[in-house]
Amino acid sequence: MTYFKSNASAFVAVLVAGTMLASPTIAQTLKMWGPENIANPETAELWNEIKAGFEANNPGVTVEFMPPTGTISNGAVQAAIQSDAGPDVVWTNSGIGRMTVVVDAGLVQPLTEEYKSGWSEKIFPWLDAQLKGNFNGEIYEVPDGLDALGIWYHKDMFAKNGWTFPDTYQGFLDLMQKIEESGMQPLVAAPNNTGSAGHLFGLVLQVTAGSKVMGEVVSGNLPWTDKRVVAGFTAFRNLVERGFIKPEMASLNFDAGTRLFLSERAAMFVGGPWFIALARGADYPLGNLGYTTMPSDLPGESIPTGGIGWSYMIPTSSSQPELAREWIDYLLSDEVMKLRAEHPTSSAIYPRELTDVTPATPVMLDIFKAASDGVGYNPSVYVPGSTIDTYYQVIQGLISGQVTPEDGAAQIEATMHKAQ
Amino acid sequence: MRFIRKELPIIAALTPILALVLAPFAWLIVSSFKSPREISIADPFDFPEQLMWQNYVEAWQVGGFGDLIGNSLINLVGVIALTLIVCAPGGYALAKMRFRYREWVFYLFILGLTIPIQAIVIPLYQVLQSLRLIDSLAGIILAQVSNGIPFGLFLMRSFFRSVPEELLEAARIDGASHFQILTKVMLPISQPAILALVVISALSTWNDFFLPLVVLISADVQTLPLGLVRFAGTFTSNYRLVFAGTVISFLPIVILYLITQRSFTEGLTQGALKG
Amino acid sequence: MTKGPENTLARQNSRGADPARRLLSAEKPGEDGFFAAIGFLLPALLVYGAFTLFPIFRTVWLSFTDSGGYNTAASFVGLDNYTALATDPIAWRALWQTVIWLVLHVVLAGGFGLVLALMIGRLRNAQVLFRAGFFLPHLVSLGVVGIIWANIYDPYFGLLNTSLDKLGLGFLQQGWLSDPTLVLFSVNLASSWQGFGLYMLLFLAGLQNIDNSLYDAADVDGATEWQKLWYVTLPGLRDVMTFVMSLALINGLKGFATVFVMTNGGPFYASELITTYIYRLAFQAQQHGKAAVLCIVLSAIAVAITVAFNRWRASGDA
Repeated sequence: MTYFKSNASAFVAVLVAGTMLASPTIAQTLKMWGPENIANPETAELWNEIKAGFEANNPGVTVEFMPPTGTISNGAVQAAIQSDAGPDVVWTNSGIGRMTVVVDAGLVQPLTEEYKSGWSEKIFPWLDAQLKGNFNGEIYEVPDGLDALGIWYHKDMFAKNGWTFPDTYQGFLDLMQKIEESGMQPLVAAPNNTGSAGHLFGLVLQVTAGSKVMGEVVSGNLPWTDKRVVAGFTAFRNLVERGFIKPEMASLNFDAGTRLFLSERAAMFVGGPWFIALARGADYPLGNLGYTTMPSDLPGESIPTGGIGWSYMIPTSSSQPELAREWIDYLLSDEVMKLRAEHPTSSAIYPRELTDVTPATPVMLDIFKAASDGVGYNPSVYVPGSTIDTYYQVIQGLISGQVTPEDGAAQIEATMHKAQ
Repeated sequence: MRFIRKELPIIAALTPILALVLAPFAWLIVSSFKSPREISIADPFDFPEQLMWQNYVEAWQVGGFGDLIGNSLINLVGVIALTLIVCAPGGYALAKMRFRYREWVFYLFILGLTIPIQAIVIPLYQVLQSLRLIDSLAGIILAQVSNGIPFGLFLMRSFFRSVPEELLEAARIDGASHFQILTKVMLPISQPAILALVVISALSTWNDFFLPLVVLISADVQTLPLGLVRFAGTFTSNYRLVFAGTVISFLPIVILYLITQRSFTEGLTQGALKG
Repeated sequence: MTKGPENTLARQNSRGADPARRLLSAEKPGEDGFFAAIGFLLPALLVYGAFTLFPIFRTVWLSFTDSGGYNTAASFVGLDNYTALATDPIAWRALWQTVIWLVLHVVLAGGFGLVLALMIGRLRNAQVLFRAGFFLPHLVSLGVVGIIWANIYDPYFGLLNTSLDKLGLGFLQQGWLSDPTLVLFSVNLASSWQGFGLYMLLFLAGLQNIDNSLYDAADVDGATEWQKLWYVTLPGLRDVMTFVMSLALINGLKGFATVFVMTNGGPFYASELITTYIYRLAFQAQQHGKAAVLCIVLSAIAVAITVAFNRWRASGDA
């Protein structure tokens, strides 16, 4: 019923758009939800250049950027799509959990046809395969930014104190012990936002339980109460008990956590390539930013977590879906990809191999290298939308000491079970 | 001189309390002029080496505060005007006109007086959506006016009821219609009630966070408080701008209050106590 | 005590009300006609009907359906949402924390407002100054209050912890928003900082309405200041006090913005209120039916508070 309705309205929308395209004199406005930092002058400059290229190819078309007021997680995207002034293209944080929310609500259009006629070749083959497995072969998104969460650290601080990253998790604990004893805060946790809460936690789960186990857990094939996963919960709680994470961090939101690291009052911070943009904004010297993966005792598991971080979608309410498809097609072109990858604001891993690209920030090369062996699973973007909330609250509870590892795992499992 | 000596101990006791209550303002204003480095040192008793007016310039541009202030003004003026237009005749009818079911109509409105807005937000959202009023200032204005109608009617009704019947009788003998009585006789003597309604709708609109959060989605229609929360939470971690933006969002209204302090206080207390 | 301009309306009211009522009741009903009157009420009825009245009844209906998401057609599910909520530990926690929140708001904001009014009411020349100064926090919109106090409470950079450190009181530093036993109080303090100014003004207005001759009589009897406070001032404030208490309870019940901005109900639901849980269920989890049940609970509490206080006030008048 829902599908019929959304398809029917999409059909009508296509008809309307078709008639509009037939008469080229009509001025069209294509609205895109995003980019995230459009208020930043440099970001605006880049995107105005991209926009100008598209408008030159399509006379009469104006592209308008809507500064995002939130994500799918807090309902802002859904509300915007439902509103009269909704966007034609949405560029937002994705991942299978968030995608399930908008796909089930019939808010975004299938793009499977476009993949068949060319888009499949424009992204990594493994990415294409992953997308096809999600919704019975239908694809609703175009991945843009891939995430690779690792450890950011201050190069000069580590050099001065002779701190180095070991190969084992025990060694990692010893390193944090040394940092703690020097009076510096070893790690930052910032669990008071949807999103940032799971960064550190997901990484600890992965290095303890392994990415294969976590992949099974987030897709619902293994329970959260599996011994190996609970061991990860315990390892995280252990970080609090040993003082590497402080209980008062339970109230920090992402901005407050970032400030703690960027003002050099903490030694390490877990984040993805996008963290470079924040450091730039806070006038942090980018040359001093180091990036590495979290050590693991499991072979081959010292890799970033991540997955699809950002995607383009076309809402079913889009008034010009054809034009929206052309815009996405244009964004996937070599010309735009290279322009973005070499721009100083670049802080993303692009959905396909880019050759002959020199990123403006050298540390990006470290991230590309860390992610080249593949990335694991950041549960925040994989668990169903209704489970995410419980997931974040449990992380807060572990830090503030309100839930035990076993209890926390059981609570997440309970909501996950209900969602399926 | 006697009363001054009596007052002195009270003033001495109140002054430190006042300083404590207003300390957040002072801290914010001082912090808003600090450089990033000074903010990261986080010494509350340390004054900025030089005043970073730049913080305000940047915050104003990045946060789009010009638009936000404009939206808040439209929001406030719209709610106040519409509330008056709707509640003055309604209150008059409930107070001075005799008609069947008057009590029932009155109770219908009283029903909404106690129901918190959060308790009806789901269908309210659906109504606004079906009228295509989500993400528009018109939508937020109508929803807030509706939320304020029970109180507004109640206030106007109790004021009009206190007007002596002799006054109306004289106008009626002259052949005046109800509309003429309302506009020529009642409204000219209603300044206290109107002032009360203006101040109270302005204050409740300004303090409303829930409805704007739900209704106003795009940055270009958001009101000042909501815009500041978005500005402070969009992963910028740029605290000098957050501090400057926060000062921008309370300073104008504080100045406005200090100028209109006397009539503001009068309207607020009388409105609240009589309504 | 001088009578300020604030009292003109009050005096008009007390003089006009009774004769007017007598005159009105002497008239025959039905004189103006239903439709003439409805014409005056139509604008109010239209707006109110669409945006308040209809949603009230619709909420009740929603609570019996599985409405959720945006495009799904809701179907009748009986009492499922009610039983689901009754067995939801977060809902009970939110309800209990809302009760604590209400009490804290009445005590912190109402109590502080009363104490300040009693002190400021004794001033003459400086009264306006203190009245205006103490009222300033009430002008800060609640969402902005959340931003301000989140920064004040920041464990590493906030005004509170850094001041304590500088004053040599570092041992008093707390994780104001992370300690589950403290967080509700901390957020409520922020809310009450914004709220007490209004209550203070109302108490001040109440003080001005107390008949001065009562104090003169007490002076003649040789009453102490405390006796005057206990036997003259506080009884004279009875009406205002019941009003402020009901207002503070209702305002407390609507508390949302500060929690939403500062903690979003965390850590681990330690500051979850009914209102924030409604928002979470309705707009994040898209469970409209379950949220509607909580909406009804919220309304029921509000109505109960109002009815109880009206009874109490009426019993005092009799």
